[in-house]
Amino acid sequence: MTSDAVPAGGDPRRLLADVRGLARRVRLAQRVTWLPLLVLALVTFGAILVYRSSQPVLSDCRAVGEGQVCRAWYQTAQLYWWSALVLAYVVISAGYLRVARARGLGARVLPYVLTGVALVVLSAAVSVVWMALGDPHYPDEPSTSAQLLLRLLDPTGVIGLALLMLAWLERRRALLLFALGYLAVVLVPINFGWGAGWGDKWGFAPQLVINGGLLLGSAGFALASRLRRPR
Amino acid sequence: MSGALDSPEPDETDSPHPVTGLDERVHQRVRLGILTIAHEARRVEFGYLRTQLELTAGNLSQHLAVLETAGLVEIEKGYAGRRGRTWITLTAAGSAALAEEIARLKLLIARVETAGGQ
Repeated sequence: MTSDAVPAGGDPRRLLADVRGLARRVRLAQRVTWLPLLVLALVTFGAILVYRSSQPVLSDCRAVGEGQVCRAWYQTAQLYWWSALVLAYVVISAGYLRVARARGLGARVLPYVLTGVALVVLSAAVSVVWMALGDPHYPDEPSTSAQLLLRLLDPTGVIGLALLMLAWLERRRALLLFALGYLAVVLVPINFGWGAGWGDKWGFAPQLVINGGLLLGSAGFALASRLRRPR
Repeated sequence: MSGALDSPEPDETDSPHPVTGLDERVHQRVRLGILTIAHEARRVEFGYLRTQLELTAGNLSQHLAVLETAGLVEIEKGYAGRRGRTWITLTAAGSAALAEEIARLKLLIARVETAGGQ
């Protein structure tokens, strides 16, 4: 760039191309996409241990066939998800601010963090209301649409919803595709048949391993592409 | 980039030629670059601008002074440890001026293309 004034009849195409190029460079410098993916993967893997080490609160057990069904509330796990996710968004926010400041820029992470925290609050509210209503479908399964909605507003679902916001903020198509794929796996869980003989306490583990693995793998790709990029 | 770069496509009307409305404080390659970076970054440090725009400190300071006088940016000086740092933030007027400049550039391009096609 030069410091000469561009004449009014100069090349507007070049000016506009310069503007777009500069904006793109700023966005690239602000990206720390691997950080939220890594932190959220750790939170997801942490949930496996919480489910393993805590007992659900059982109530209203009824005999069905040779066994019984009960209402189960995973109180400890719920509290873990809510607090761990809010803490994760604080860590992500601090990380983005630190990196951006070190590069001489402001961060554009606040809308993502606010969306993430708002979705955690919404997820908690839905969970509490569902419990207060006494699970209206019990002992039957909720309808398919209710199941999809509940999965979407489950802690693993709201992680994916918030990632859509991050993809928009960073104008990153790869992250958008990842978030959509992640949400598809949350909504239609993949069952490889793992965990059949793992016992009650590992019931959530297979799905959480898949979700956490997706997040961790993407964090690795994002970090690798960041390191490959010339500075 | 949001906002400024996403301004609506220009329409073909009998309005005055877009060149007549260009603001020379903004329609200048370096100053347009400063406004663009400040818009995208929310807040930008002097050193980042100097590196990206390939300017000397004195030259950049002159351009910043023009923009600050016009009320398009705010300049804040502070310290990070012992190191002095200068941060530049776009004002609401700066954001509006950038959006208007980009809309005019798009309009100019549209005019040139229309004229070229005739």
